[in-house]
Formats: sequence, structure tokens, C-alpha cells
Amino acid sequence: MSSSASSPGRAASRCLLCSVGCPVRVIRAGPDQYLPDYVPHAGYAGLCGRGSVLVELLDHPERIREAHRHAGPAASPGDPAEAGDGCVALGLEAAAREMAAALGDADSAAIIVDGNLDADTVASAGRFASGAGAKWAVLVPPSDEAMVRALDSSGCRFVGPEALASSDAMLILGDPFATHPVAAHWILAAKKARPRMPVLVLGDGSSVTADFASAAYQATPGAGLAAAVASVRTGAGADAKPTAGWKEQLQSAKQAVIVLAPDAGSASVLGLASEAAALAKETGAAVCPLTTYGNAWGSVRAASAGPAVEGTSHYRAGGATAIEAILREPIETLVVIGADLESALAPQAVEEALGGVLTLIYVGPMPNATSRRAGLVLPSAFAFEDSGRALLGPGREVAFEPLLPPPAGVPTVREILAMAGAGGEAKADVSAPVPAARMPSNGSKVRGEGLLLRLANDPIHFADGSLTRACRWPQAVLPRPVLVLAEADAEAAGLAEGRTAVVRGPGGSAEAVVATDARQRAGQARASAAFPAMRSVFGWESGAADAYEPVRVQVGKA
Amino acid sequence: MAETAETIEKKVVLDLDRCIGCKSCMAACFYGHQEMHGVQFVDIGPALLPIVCRQCTDPACVEACPAEAMVRDEEGVVARAMFHCRSCGSCVRACPFGVLSLEKVGHQIAKCDLCRDRLARGLEPRCVAVCPTQALRFATASEMEAEGLVLLGGRTAGEHPIRRRL
Repeated sequence: MSSSASSPGRAASRCLLCSVGCPVRVIRAGPDQYLPDYVPHAGYAGLCGRGSVLVELLDHPERIREAHRHAGPAASPGDPAEAGDGCVALGLEAAAREMAAALGDADSAAIIVDGNLDADTVASAGRFASGAGAKWAVLVPPSDEAMVRALDSSGCRFVGPEALASSDAMLILGDPFATHPVAAHWILAAKKARPRMPVLVLGDGSSVTADFASAAYQATPGAGLAAAVASVRTGAGADAKPTAGWKEQLQSAKQAVIVLAPDAGSASVLGLASEAAALAKETGAAVCPLTTYGNAWGSVRAASAGPAVEGTSHYRAGGATAIEAILREPIETLVVIGADLESALAPQAVEEALGGVLTLIYVGPMPNATSRRAGLVLPSAFAFEDSGRALLGPGREVAFEPLLPPPAGVPTVREILAMAGAGGEAKADVSAPVPAARMPSNGSKVRGEGLLLRLANDPIHFADGSLTRACRWPQAVLPRPVLVLAEADAEAAGLAEGRTAVVRGPGGSAEAVVATDARQRAGQARASAAFPAMRSVFGWESGAADAYEPVRVQVGKA
Repeated sequence: MAETAETIEKKVVLDLDRCIGCKSCMAACFYGHQEMHGVQFVDIGPALLPIVCRQCTDPACVEACPAEAMVRDEEGVVARAMFHCRSCGSCVRACPFGVLSLEKVGHQIAKCDLCRDRLARGLEPRCVAVCPTQALRFATASEMEAEGLVLLGGRTAGEHPIRRRL
């Protein structure tokens, strides 16, 4: 959260739920009641569904407010039991010392910190890990990590989303209208100013982004999307014909921008972002990277600048791929700060890895599947209840003050680390671009029978344990996964709009509500990413090159 | 119940050309009204669009309500009086525009009140203020026309209900 002018009873900050980083304010509506305000500010307009209800986290009824130890066996994932139900409350300082002792006594220990905390907290966690002889890694979505690693040292010219308003030609990769709705504000502003400007979309034909395009092409998801960008650049390949002339449209523009908002796996996004960088250089276009995490860029840079954080030597720089590498090794004590591994990583792989951890400790503001497994749980403030710095993208560093102070007795992560004996706060170096590191090779096309299914992020998330999860929505936004099918595929499977389908994939099966769309390309489908059961269908293995990539599935009636 | 004021002059108007179906309006409304959703979404096939109470001049919901729960207040806003509502659904069936939902929350029918708490502070309704693309506007018909927006059916603007102008 970044500070701006404040007045009594009103505070202004920034939402870091994605890399757009919208300014947000709250109004004090009562002694302990705050309501979000949506005053347009600094050229921004409105908030997305997640940002608009950010304040609900402040007084969420499930919020962790005291340190506690599970008295009996750790609760199973999905078990709603939390503090007060089979738990023993602890003093904060005692719990912090216990955490430090568990790390120090273990033969093998690791700390995993959520990448959406501020950069200095990430660096402080790294220093603490080093002092305790533990490995550490930062959790950012695989697509974010791949985008940073592919682009940061590419030499491209980068712009933030607000610069899209002055663009006169765009190539959009992904579905930013769904994943970063506020970015649509500037895209539409550009279109209003220059109605004939080319807005070229490579992504789902049934996405809202494609609905606003001057030309759209649905390439094969995953590795196929990178191949399509290569076709745009070289004029060769299977996708050259439907994208003919796109490169020339970018070249002839004065302020062309390539917007990157992918939500696939490391391998595909690495290939996609690399191809986008090459295309940007050849056409003179700028690149506008939109990450899922607001501070993904800062976190990956902070983790990768390990030696710059004094004393860190055991770190394992990086995001999801580094975490999966850590989890493949035997770990006695694992401290997870703010992250939910089971929601963020390949579910089966995490299940297997956490099963071998002797002592699991969770530090965070909200309960999740990881906290329910943990033997020791410590409360902490949200990122927007603390001050710090974040890097929204290259050249987009923001410093911020808390939107509101955390509840009484709830410390910040840095205060917990200090209680645990960490020596002073670390200052993250987020100035240096991340060198291109070895990542999974570009994903290969998935062959086999059935529909090619990919995960897609929705504007509103339900099953992520936060924000709009515990609500009674009308039918249009019921908290159930949606499966978007081409009409022909739905008909072949005997499914109609609104019916429940069973999706069977390499990792199992899940149910989803069918949404048919004439613009969806036959043979391809997408499903809501926020639901663990749906992610389990993919059967990804930890660290595998195909993790988070599309898979072939069978779809039938429930 | 007899009306106590003229209908409010400003309406929530949806610019079809700008709506991206992100449901930010619905989320903001939901949270700001203690989990009662005053914004509904309708799937018209090519697009998923929000529908907000039209604040009719002669509101059928007010006429149909047997409990005098649907009233027009002194500001001209048609709203549901919380403790009068019996959740009988008469208003839902009477509404010719499908704005109201039979889904009950705490034995109450959810009804848009144009965020009276915000109007009293001189602020726009939540759905309008939060809209990332400014597709939802709170304006008079003359203000919309002055901006060159073509009003379709009085509460929506756009060149074509399906094709995007932008």
C-alpha cells in the first residue's frame, strides 16, 4: 500500500493484489467499522472486484488473532477447525522463540515467504533464514516468475498500464480484462482517443478482451501461444496466416505496446515472454507486463539478489520452481509466511512434500490449508497494514504507509522476525534486473485425446481463502468453477449451458458449471483457476516441466 | 404507499460499449450493503451485463408491495425499508425489468437504494464509483446526451447492444 494524502478518518494507500497497484482509501464509518472508498485518484478509475472489497479482510471473522499450537494431530486440509477448537493459545514472544528454536534445532529447515509481502519483509525473511541456517524461497505464481526471468534482462522498454492510454497500437497476450480489470480503463481510453487503432488479441476468442479487439486469434494455449507470437514475428509457422499483417501494424505505430497478462505455467510463459521481447525489439514496441502478484517483480528481484542481502547464503532464489525444488528435499522444519502452498502450487506435489515435514509453522493473517496443517500458528498483519516498498514492474517502485494499523496484538512479519531473534531489518535491493536463469524449457504441445483444458483467472476469486469467498452471491457469480466450452464440444458431450459437467484429467476429476460460447475454439476449454479441486484435475508433478500447463481432459455429464 | 417525493433525477446508466463484465460493481455493492446484492447480472449471450434498479417514475414494486416496505424516500429514491419487508416476493414479480431477485438474504429482498449513505455525502453509488472502465455512470439523461452518448431504453447507452463501439 502506497501512501498519499490523508485526512483524519481517511487514509489513502495502494492495492497490491495485482501489479496495477490501484490507489485505495477507507472511510471510518464507526468506531471499528471501515468502508472502502473509490475516489478516482492519480489517473486511476475504480477498482476491480477484489480491490473493491479489500477492506473486508480487516475484520474478517476467520482472521488469526492470536498465536496457538494445535494440541492434537494437525487438522486435515479443508477442516474449518482453527484457534479455539483443539488449540492451545500461546504468547507471541514465546511462539516466536519456539519458531526460532525449531529452525535452529532442525538438521534441515526452510522458510517460504509469500511474494506479495513488501520487498523489505521478503529480504528480512531471507536474512532470518540465513541466520538460522535454513533455505528460503519466495512464493510468486509460476507465470509471474517466468515473466520476470524472461523479461527483466531482455533490454526491452517497459511501461506501466497507465501508459496504455497513449498507445496507438496494442498486441495483447492473455486476458487482462479478466485478470487486471482496471487496466481495461486505459485500453478503452486509448481506443476512444484513436478509434481506428489496432488492438490485436492473442488469447481466448470467448474472452471479454477479445470482444474489444480489432482482430483476435485463439491460438493453442500453453506452448502454442508462444509459437503464435513467433509466427507474428517471423511470418512463418502454423499461426502465420491468421496473424498476417500484425507485425506491420505494430511497426507502423508510434507508441505500440505489447501487453502481457498470461496465466499459464513457467515453461509456457517463459517462452511467451521471450518471444514477446523479441517481437518488441523488432517492432520498437514497449512491453507492459501485468503480474498476478502486485509485488512479484520486487520479490523475485529481492530473492535473486540474495548476496546483496547481508548474510544470506542458504537462500534458494526464485519463486514456485525454487519452492518445488526445496520441497523435493527432506525438510524437518518448514516455516511458511503468509502463503498457502496447497492453493498456489501443484496440489498433489505439495500434499506429498508436506507429509514429510516434522514441524510445520505458519505465520500469516488468515487461515488456509497450510495453517490448518501447522503445529504452530502465529498471527501477522496484512501487507496493507504495514509500511514498505513494492516493485509493481520495471521502474515502478512504490513506497507505502499502512492503510490502517493491524488489530491490537497482531504484529507485522518483521516484528515477529525480530521477536525470533533476527538481527535488524534487511533492505532489499530491487534495483538490479534479474539475470535470465535456467528455467523449464519452453512447453511442448500437448498431444492426445480429449479437449485441451487450461486454467484461467477470474475477476473475482472465491476459493482462495480470502476476499469474496464467504458470501451469498446470485447465480451469475456462484462460487463454483466454470468450464467454458465451444458450442460444438458441449453438444458432443451432451452438455448444455448451466449444466454440471465432470472433467476427468490426469490427476482426477472435478465438477464444473458449463458455459458455452460460440467464439471459443473447438477442442479447447478453460476452467476457473481458484478452485483446488479443479487444479487437481491437471495432475501436475512438483518441478515438472509441464507444471501449470494445459492438459487433455475428457468432459461428460455429471 | 403514496410517493413522498419526485423521482430522483440522476440514474445509474450502463454504457454497453465499455462494460467488461468484471463484476466489480456487484462486489462493491455486496460488501457495502452487508452482503445484499443490489446489482444483478444478466447473461445476454455475447456479454454478461449488470442491471441496476431503474428508479422508475411509477415503480411497480412500490405498488405491488403489501407491506409498504418498498417506498420512495424524501430524496426520491425507491428503496426497501428493512424491517417492513416480509420477503413475499411481490416486488420481484412486479418488476418489469427483472432487476430484483427472489433470492432472500436474512429474510429480506435485496433492493438497490442508490447507496443513500454515499449520496448523503455527495458521493456516487458504489457500483458507479468502483467501475474500472466507467461503464456505469450516475447522471441525468441530459448529461448523458450532452456527452454524445446514445441512450437505449433510458438506462443504457451504446451504439449497439451486442457489438462493441470502442
